[in-house]
Amino acid sequence: MSAARDAEIGRLWRSRPRSRFARASVVAMLGLVAWAWIGGGLVPSELLSARRLANLERFLGEVTPYPLQGRTFDLGVALRWAGDLLVERGLAAAATTLAISVAAIVLAAIVGAVLGAPAARTIASPEPWLPDPRRPAAPVAFAWRGLVTGSRAVMIFLRAIPEYLWAFLFLAMLGPTAWPAVLALGLHNAGILGKLGAEAAENASRREPQALRGLGASRAQVVAIGLLPMTLPRLLLYFFYRWETCVREATVLGMLGIVSLGYWIQDARARNHYDEMVFLILLGAAIVLIGDVVSAVARRVVRRAS
Amino acid sequence: MSQPPTGSRFVLEGVVVRHDGGGGAPINALDGVALAIEPGEAVALVGPSGSGKTTLLSLLNGSTRPSAGRILVDGSDLTELSPRQLRLVRASIGTVHQDLALVPNLRVSQNVLSGRLGRLGFLASVRTMLWPSAEDLRSAHALLERVGIPEKLFERTDRLSGGERQRVAIARALHQQPAALLADEPVSSVDPARARDAVGLLRELSRERGLTLVVSLHNLDLARSFFPRLIGLRGGRVAFDAPPAEVDEAAFEALYELADG
Amino acid sequence: MGDERPLPIGARGAVILAIVAAGAAAVPWLGLTPGSLVPSDGGLTLVGEFLVRAASPALTSEADPVPEGTPPLLWRALAAARTTVVFAAAAMSLALVLGLVLGFASSSAWWADDLRGRGRLRRVVAPVLTWSSRTLMVLMRSVHELLWAVLFLAALGRSPTTAVIAIAIPYGGTLAKVFSEMIDEAPRDAAHALRSSGASPAAVFVFGLLPRALPDMIAYSLYRFECALRSAAILGFFGFPTLGYYLKLSFENLHYGEVWTYLYTLFALIVVVDWWSGALRRRFLA
Repeated sequence: MSAARDAEIGRLWRSRPRSRFARASVVAMLGLVAWAWIGGGLVPSELLSARRLANLERFLGEVTPYPLQGRTFDLGVALRWAGDLLVERGLAAAATTLAISVAAIVLAAIVGAVLGAPAARTIASPEPWLPDPRRPAAPVAFAWRGLVTGSRAVMIFLRAIPEYLWAFLFLAMLGPTAWPAVLALGLHNAGILGKLGAEAAENASRREPQALRGLGASRAQVVAIGLLPMTLPRLLLYFFYRWETCVREATVLGMLGIVSLGYWIQDARARNHYDEMVFLILLGAAIVLIGDVVSAVARRVVRRAS
Repeated sequence: MSQPPTGSRFVLEGVVVRHDGGGGAPINALDGVALAIEPGEAVALVGPSGSGKTTLLSLLNGSTRPSAGRILVDGSDLTELSPRQLRLVRASIGTVHQDLALVPNLRVSQNVLSGRLGRLGFLASVRTMLWPSAEDLRSAHALLERVGIPEKLFERTDRLSGGERQRVAIARALHQQPAALLADEPVSSVDPARARDAVGLLRELSRERGLTLVVSLHNLDLARSFFPRLIGLRGGRVAFDAPPAEVDEAAFEALYELADG
Repeated sequence: MGDERPLPIGARGAVILAIVAAGAAAVPWLGLTPGSLVPSDGGLTLVGEFLVRAASPALTSEADPVPEGTPPLLWRALAAARTTVVFAAAAMSLALVLGLVLGFASSSAWWADDLRGRGRLRRVVAPVLTWSSRTLMVLMRSVHELLWAVLFLAALGRSPTTAVIAIAIPYGGTLAKVFSEMIDEAPRDAAHALRSSGASPAAVFVFGLLPRALPDMIAYSLYRFECALRSAAILGFFGFPTLGYYLKLSFENLHYGEVWTYLYTLFALIVVVDWWSGALRRRFLA
């Protein structure tokens, strides 16, 4: 009885639905992590060597604001030190950081729209929003498919290369204006927003665009009147999510030599003024937090309105 | 098998459950309910939606706390128990929820075996769920066989039909080795043709295992033909509590009449 | 919101207007004139030379003469890619542990009400745990990984482990935030059912709640792994031997073909991970 049941369970187990791909993926991921820690030359214990600990101690001493080093703590002195730093560099750099993030995300939205629209199969097809009623002439269909593939490839490339790298390359070509930072953030995020926008367009209901199309509206008209109002709330959410990361990245891009907060962080680092460096890093964190809060409020407004 | 000799005994004394109505005055989902359900009894709760059937069931399995009154399961007052003791009582009561409440992306075997988690420590739970013993699988397979879908043992739960999923939920409740079985609207998750089968199965299973059975039902015909005792609820109060023969059409109709004023 | 008269443009219109205004204000503040977008003559030749090499990335070292003992270019690119993957994978594994622990601690789901409102321990400890872990998460992720790297470089000096930790901290914070949101938003029906069958809070969380959030969590983790590859590559700019290090070096030596080789290597890494996570998602996580 029990043996028969066990045999039956064994049979069911062997014929259970399973996926080799999922199994292989899990094995590959675990293997990758194990390999990274074992064979990757990482020696965590080395962090606790005497030399490094001495270095850490020195660093912690230097993080104390300069006027207070080797003295008893005085809040007034500390505040004056922080205030001077803010007025001299911090506030202007913070404003520049925010300005870069805003300009970049607006640029990203514009470029993303240009690249994303032709990447949506519902828009870029011989018969938009219709499931191919009659097979159109091969060259026409081929051209549209090429457009979809081409715009997608450009977007993948834009987002595969990190912002920092783009900024480095642009900086060499354009010199130290704000453009390299804006372009780098703008193009990388255009790749992301374009992809998300194309997905939103493809997943949107086809009924309204089809109805408009039936009334004789052009492709652009359908996008503007039918598609955009439907997908706008979602696009705005993506816009603000990406803006948050833009703020984060804009801080850091300054380390390449653009006058955002990162520039002064790098400057303090180069002069070994670790007190200023840590203070400015914390200021950067504060800006990121402000950005997150503004974005959260804006996203809530958008959600409520839709 | 360590079957308890008899089912649970439930006693409710002056039970009130108050919900905070959204911004307005609090609403009494149950309002002074007193009743006793004896071991091995089969009871149907009938009444319109919002009459308090689901709330009553969630009191019986110890997942809702009464605002006033006492609930005794086999003599122990649920509101007085420590979390650990309460878990033991919960483990002795199997529930088939209205929405079935299975985990869709687990295998059927895992959903069935998860019924026993109340009786296991954490490490034993992990073992049962991830590396079930042959004994676990035999037990799950036997239960699935009893409810009619043994071949689905290792299927992903979300690939099953509604009726099959309900049977998984019943098997999970039975794998708890409960002393009582509760079912909330078991008819709502299957098509009407299967409704009779579902209620009949619950009745059979609890009879052969000596479980106390409490089922909430919309369908009065089903309640009448399967259960020796009907409890009518209306507006959170017991309207009647009697064998079907003593409940006439007028009493049923009164249950569904709109409350006036 | 209720019965207020709607604004003439609506809330959405106001948001868009604010975006446009902010963008318009940013342009003069940054001095973004079209003129400054045109590279100088030197810049222009550089752009030309650089872009031309996009079609012909270098296959062998462009240094002339090749310094003694330098490994072949493709070998170097592969080694740099290997380091990049090592950093990203190690950092992600650490970030996942951080993210799961903090995400678990800051999710409100696992300590949700019990029948007796008396669990003193749970009543006091749970909110404290929740809020302290949320604060920690915010601190971790509001400092960029490069800035964490800068801090660690100053505090401990250069070591591959510092690079891994620098990535793991902000990523751990982000994963924790997203995980806790995913867990809190996952359907609770199965969790309630397990609870009503007497399962302990830990078992309810692991077997009732976690499986329902898991597909989303896996998809997001794969996406973050892709991001970690980019971050690891960039850390090369601070002297770690990842792709960024060699890329920067080649660019500064005007070896543009090599730059493109490294760029395409990074691109290939990203595309492979992108394809992999896409394939997994399409098959299982839909």
